[in-house]
Amino acid sequence: MTLAANSPTSFPPATTQRRPSFRPRRSASTKTLGISLVTLAALVALWFLAAQFGWASPLFLPSPADVLTQFGVVAADGYANGTLLDHTLASLGRIAAALGVGIFVGIPLGLLMGLNRWIRGIFSVPIDLYWGLPPLAYLPLLIIWLGIGETSKIVLLSLSTFAPICFAAQAGVRSVPVERINAALSLGASRLQLFTSIILPSALPEILTGLKIAIGAGLSTLVAAELIAAQSGLGYMIMSAANFLATDVVFVGLIIIAVLAFAFTSGMRWLEQRLIPWKGKL
Amino acid sequence: MLRIRDASVTFPASDGQDVHALDHVTLDIAPASIVVAVGASGCGKSTLLNAIAGFLPLSEGTITLDGREIVAPGGDRGVVFQKDTLLPWASVLDNVALGLKYRGVSRGERHERSRHLLELVGLADFAEKPPYELSGGMRQRVGIARALATDPKILLMDEPFGALDSLTRETMQQLLASVWAQTGKQILFITHSIEEALTLGTTIVVMSPRPGRIVARFDADFVRDFAENGDIGPIQSDPRFIELRQEIRSLIHQPEAARTGTLQ
Repeated sequence: MTLAANSPTSFPPATTQRRPSFRPRRSASTKTLGISLVTLAALVALWFLAAQFGWASPLFLPSPADVLTQFGVVAADGYANGTLLDHTLASLGRIAAALGVGIFVGIPLGLLMGLNRWIRGIFSVPIDLYWGLPPLAYLPLLIIWLGIGETSKIVLLSLSTFAPICFAAQAGVRSVPVERINAALSLGASRLQLFTSIILPSALPEILTGLKIAIGAGLSTLVAAELIAAQSGLGYMIMSAANFLATDVVFVGLIIIAVLAFAFTSGMRWLEQRLIPWKGKL
Repeated sequence: MLRIRDASVTFPASDGQDVHALDHVTLDIAPASIVVAVGASGCGKSTLLNAIAGFLPLSEGTITLDGREIVAPGGDRGVVFQKDTLLPWASVLDNVALGLKYRGVSRGERHERSRHLLELVGLADFAEKPPYELSGGMRQRVGIARALATDPKILLMDEPFGALDSLTRETMQQLLASVWAQTGKQILFITHSIEEALTLGTTIVVMSPRPGRIVARFDADFVRDFAENGDIGPIQSDPRFIELRQEIRSLIHQPEAARTGTLQ
């Protein structure tokens, strides 16, 4: 009856009946990449022409050359109490701190909320209540409570990144197919093994989706908060430049933010391909 | 030996009328036998399997495996599901080895035993593939290998071939018969196909719905012949096979007649 003592003959191996896999071909994405690059080039060319032929005043639309020059000036000499690198690092530092809080508090709490009815019942109400508010609406309150310094901004950003990550982790746990759990239990999994080998990896796609949403929410809250109340950061630099009608510096700030946002999106896509290549299959 | 005594499962329904999914079922599954439960949808055959697996609590009665009462899912009962439940992030080999990993078997040993099982189900060349690159039939073979890996006392199979095309299905039946002949496992197999029940069962129990219960049982031994020769044709044209198939068909289509005993 034991398995070791058997199988003088084996079942004939399967070789031919492979199912074709329906993965999108790589060429499809490179095709759109080419189109996108042409669009980008056309936009820059249009910008160049508009500035060159004076379709709009430089006050509203500085030329690409001016923006490039200003880029060098701001990078080297600085603008509004800091170089471009200082402002970028200030902004990145805030969003990194907020994402850290979102990940290290939001994921464990979300997982627990998915697993336990009591924890879900206790925490879902306060999170639902504040998550419905626009972050800038309660920024003044945070400033009254915590002062104008870094703390209030990092708390604000942390609140905006925490909720989507926490909800995603909870949804990830709740979405594990019951058959997968039953299968693991009938293979003898303990509760801890069930969590680490089944629930956590099953929840990973949802958690990464939550992280993407959190980065988007964090970035927009970050810049908005810096526009209102900060002494450093890209949002602060843009606001200071706007006050002096230095439109070229505003453009520099916007381009940096766009590049950062693009880098975050690409980074997340890379992370998804590395961590969950199986997403949507099976 | 698996003993089911007066097992009932009752679900509360929305209209207040309780649903008797399983009604006082008594059944034994002896070592080295294949008991096939066959019946129309809603006859309680899957409920019976889920109760044995420990996924569902009984409302009444007891189920014991080698004298120990079943109260929760456990590694002594291997389950093969209708829909495959392989982990997409693990290779075929690691999927088969999952139960051994839960038991703390060392990596080298669990891989060796899993490779041996993959050979048994004819998938040795696919060990390193992710499961989503396999066909439906191949994934069910991985599911069978995975359930066998921990050497369970009984194999519970819930319409495992129901979603497969008829050619693949026949190959899988042949595979199961050969695995059974080689391992001597006791198996509970659920199906709604009468032919499949007769081809694979050493005992066939016919179930009927509302309330779900056993209306008849038959002994058969076509599976031994099938395991030996691997040819389904002569078995299905055997007069005894045809006669039993007709009898079971009438039982399923006219359960009332069976209850009043006119067909006994």
